[in-house]
Parts: sequence; structure tokens; C-alpha cells
Amino acid sequence: MSLDPIQVMSGQVKELKVSPSSNGDTRGSWEEKEEFDPNQLDLTTKSKPVTGRRARKVEGAMFFPKPENAVTVAVSSRVLFRTEREQKVFEQKGVEEYLRYQIEHENEPFAPGPAFPFVKALEAVNARLRELYPQSEELFDIVLVTYNHAHVGIRLINTINHHNLFIERFCMTGGSSPIGYLKAWHTNLYLSADAEKVREALAEGIAAATMFMMEKVSEVSESQLRVAFDGDAVLFSDESERIFKTHGLDKFFEHERENEDILLDHGPLKGFLEALGKLQKKFYAKGQRLNCPIRTYLVTARSAASSGIRALKTLRAWGLEIDEALFLAGAPKGPMLEKIRPHIYFDDQMFHIEGAAEMGTVAAHVPYGIAQKHNSPQTLSGGK
Amino acid sequence: MVSTVQNSDVKQKDEDQAVVVAVTFAAVFDAEAEDDRDVYRLGVALPLLQVLQRVNERLLEENPVEHQLFDIILITTETRQQQQSSSIINSTRHHGLEVGRFCFSSEDDFIESLAHNNVQLFLTTDGNEALQATQQGVPSALLDKNSASCPSDQLRVVLCQDATIQPNADSSGASKKSAQSFLTLLGQIRQKFGMFNSPLCFTIVTSCGGKDSCCSALKSLRSLGVSVDEAYCLGGAPRGPILSILRPHFLLSDGFSQLEG
Repeated sequence: MSLDPIQVMSGQVKELKVSPSSNGDTRGSWEEKEEFDPNQLDLTTKSKPVTGRRARKVEGAMFFPKPENAVTVAVSSRVLFRTEREQKVFEQKGVEEYLRYQIEHENEPFAPGPAFPFVKALEAVNARLRELYPQSEELFDIVLVTYNHAHVGIRLINTINHHNLFIERFCMTGGSSPIGYLKAWHTNLYLSADAEKVREALAEGIAAATMFMMEKVSEVSESQLRVAFDGDAVLFSDESERIFKTHGLDKFFEHERENEDILLDHGPLKGFLEALGKLQKKFYAKGQRLNCPIRTYLVTARSAASSGIRALKTLRAWGLEIDEALFLAGAPKGPMLEKIRPHIYFDDQMFHIEGAAEMGTVAAHVPYGIAQKHNSPQTLSGGK
Repeated sequence: MVSTVQNSDVKQKDEDQAVVVAVTFAAVFDAEAEDDRDVYRLGVALPLLQVLQRVNERLLEENPVEHQLFDIILITTETRQQQQSSSIINSTRHHGLEVGRFCFSSEDDFIESLAHNNVQLFLTTDGNEALQATQQGVPSALLDKNSASCPSDQLRVVLCQDATIQPNADSSGASKKSAQSFLTLLGQIRQKFGMFNSPLCFTIVTSCGGKDSCCSALKSLRSLGVSVDEAYCLGGAPRGPILSILRPHFLLSDGFSQLEG
């Protein structure tokens, strides 16, 4: 399998056209598809009494994909929405006051959080998949996961409806760990604000990353999902990074050269890239390669001419296609990401996460591998 | 001929305020295994009995004169069992079970006994018995081998709402009403503890409907005074994996009709 196209960085950046389609376009195709044959629906359609919005149709149970067939993305309520005010109430005034506050504000929807554009993009892909494969269960399935007590559930459901999100599955664990449920849902990716829970998920073999509140977020495409990955300790294991951290750059280059033909071991996000690839192939099979609503990027500090080769060979051997591989040879990632405008960027080093966030890219931290011993978030607010 | 016997080892509960839970002989004891000392071995209901006792202890810690406690009755549902009354009493006292009284009835009159004893929840390992009781307006739930491995420090009650379960032909107003009043009682007990470290955890699982059916379930439970701790909206995903993590002591469903395991 060839990887195409490869961008070799030489300081000049290819200008990527990012033109988010107008609201009308995306909404149009999404809502059109909701005109299902009424004979197929088990449940009667219902309109939402939300002012100024087109009524959403509730789909019948048969249209919910089986968890093992879908690409399940579990999102915490604290990254899908902005809940800082409520967090503060909890921290300062305790749980009883927090719950009372939530119930009092039950009909006030939360504002979108850092994972919101990503989830919207997943839904846009689903709309395109349904057009091409109306009976298929190979779709993105978004599950809302929260530690919250079910008291807060009503406000979360109201918020989902307000933002016209298609989320019909959720877990409100009332404080207990959601990890067991993540496995039961065959979760392909878990996004949370809590680094501890993300670490637990990674330990259980579930791709996971920590997200942070952002001050400014760049505009991203509404019609094409863009996911960017770091290489070492994200797609690949941290074996090479270990060499770099313990023995320095020269040793790293030497090691990579010597081991060029030996595949890197897989990292925690490899499975998710694979899942994206499977969906991409469904578009290619229908002649939609140029118009594919999923695009993947590798953004690595490796350099194209040397250490990057091992990365490419590994991806090729895994049968994974990545649309664009960007070798920065140590240059900062922020500006490159700003050009790409991914909905999400995965990296294991907080330094890069912060650099990305400074330029408005939503970056998620994968707390895996040797880099964790050297990490400490400086500017971004995370944690519980 | 039904006979009711008090267990003198156990302090009797307040008639008006106690929440009466009836558990069948076959659930409390492993009826097959009787050792030669004429003592039955314990069955699948053991963790449940322990946890109900735990809730009572915690209630009394909060309020030493609490009257709204669980009151457990052991009930026989077959003539053969009815005739083993002394062994049953003996075994119960031997194991130190917190059973308030015994109700020795047969298959013909156990339903009457439930009503007569003001039973608010009937727990059995037999599906037919559960169905009969429900039809007569006594909320009931099935225990099975899974019940045997439940925790004994927190009572986990799971209410399953399934939009596609057709209401029983016999799902009368009375049956629904008694189900609701039982839920209300549980809600009252739950209110006596805080959000964390509660000995009673109330969970709702909606199987087939989407978020909106879960939302209306949460609202209607709230109107009954039930504060739900955990909620899982499955959107058609299979229930099994989630239930095996939840490990409920028993499952309640709409109208409390019989539920597959």
C-alpha cells in the first residue's frame, strides 16, 4: 500500500485550503437524510419544542448501530460542553449545592466545549456514510460518559437536544469508574478532562486522551473530519523516544538508521487510526477518494530523510494509509497545525499540546510512555 | 392453612412504617443441600439479606429511632416446604439471618399471604411465582445465580425501562400503583443518605428508547421522589454487558413484570 501524498518539509508550507462549508449546506444534507421511509420507523417522530430550530426526528431503535460494528467514541461531558462554572460550585460549595445548582439551571444548555467541533464533524461523516450505505452499522457512535449523578442527566439531555447533537447513548456513573462501561461499549476512543481516568483507560488498552479548555479555537471544517496524530508514543510505541531521552539525538538517529527495517511497535492510538482508515475505504469504494470527508495527518518531529523512513515503513507494513505525513525535523508543531486545522490533534508531550493550543488547535494529551516523566502542564487547565 | 411465626431472635419492626420484603424459601436456602444436622445451606439470596441488613444498620446510625426499616419475611410457596417449618426456623436462627417472621404457605395461598402481610416487594427465584404476584398487584423481582455474587455493602437496585416491552395484559392500575409506591418508599430511604457513601444505589437503564425516553424516566422518577444515582441509556445496545458491571441485587422493570436475566 502506498502512502500518499508525502509532504517533505523544507520550511515552506503548502497552503491548505480550508473552506468550511456554510451552515446551510451541512445541515441540508444531514437533515435530508432524516426523511426516512415512515414505514421503517418503529417510533413515531417527535418534534423538539426548542424555539427557532427545525424539528429533529427521533430515529427508530433499529438505526442504532451495534457497539462492536460502530466506531465508538466516548466523550466526557466536561469536554463536550463547558462546565467550568458548575465545577467551581462543586469545588467551593460541595456536592449538595452543586446538584441543587444544576437542577435550578436545568433548562439552560451548556456551551460547546473543546470536543464539540470534533463530535459535529463525526456526525457530518455519518451523514455521508448513511447516504452511501444506508443499511450499514459501520458509523461513528458517540457515547456521553460522565461521572455525574443522574440528577444532572436532565440538563445534559436538554443540552444535547439544544445543540442538535445525535447522541442516544450515555453512561452517568454517579461517581464510579466508567472504565468497565467503556469496554462494554467496545470503545474505540475515550476523551476526558481527567488525566487519571485517561491513564486508566490506556492501561486497559483503550485509546484515550485528555482534553483541555481552550481560550481561542480556530475555525475548522464542518464537512471534513481532520484528525492529526503525533508519531512516537501515540501511533507508535515510545521505544525510540526512550533512546532519545536517555542517550540524546545522535544515538536516536543511529538507532533509527540501524533499525530502519524493523517495525516500530504500536502505540495507543494506532487502533483509532485503523478504524478511521476502514471508514475511509468505504468512501474510496464508492469513488469518493477526492471528496472523502475524513482526512488523517501524521505530524512528527522526525525528519523525512532519516528517522521518518522507519515511521513510514511501519505504517505501510500495518496497511495503514495516512493522508498527509508532515516531518518537522524538530520544528515547532503549532504553525503547521494551524495550517492543517485538525478537529483534534493527539500528542504525548504537553509541550506540543500547549504549543498547539496557543495557536488555536484543539490538542489532546495521550499520557503514555517515557515523556510522562518530564511532563508538567504549564498553562492549560486540566485535571478533575 | 397459612401460619405466621415470629422469629424471636430478631427485634420486630414497626408494622406501619417498615418496608416489608418477602423472600422465598428457595431463594434463601439451597433447598437441595441439607446437611445431617437438619440445617439448610444458604442460597442465592444471601448477599441480598446481608445488604438489606446493612441498609438498616446505616439507617439506625443516621437516626437511632428510625422506623422505616426493611422488614424481611421468609415465605414458603409449596406444601412440601410448608411442612418443613421447624427445619426452616432452625436453619434461619443457626445462620443468624435477620428474618423478622416466617410465613408458611403453599402454592395455593402464598399470594394471599403476601397481601395479608403487607408485602411491598416479593423476591423469588421462580418466574411463575413472580408473574403471579405481579398480576395480583405485589411488586416482584427475580433472583438468580448472579444475585449470589453481588456486593453486600451497597444495595444496588436497577430499574429497567424498555420502551418495547408490551405492558402485561394484566398490568392493572393497582399493579402500577403498588410499583410506584414501592419506588417512592425506596426514594424516601435513599434521601436519608448523602450523595456519596450511600448504602443504597438507584440505577436506571433504558434499553431501546433514546435519550428522550431516558429523560422522561428520570423526570417521572423525580416526581415520585426518587433520586436516581446512575443512568445508562443503551440505545438498543445489548443489556448484558452493562448489567454484569452494575451487578444489581435485583432488577425492576416497567410495571415490575418478569424480566429475563
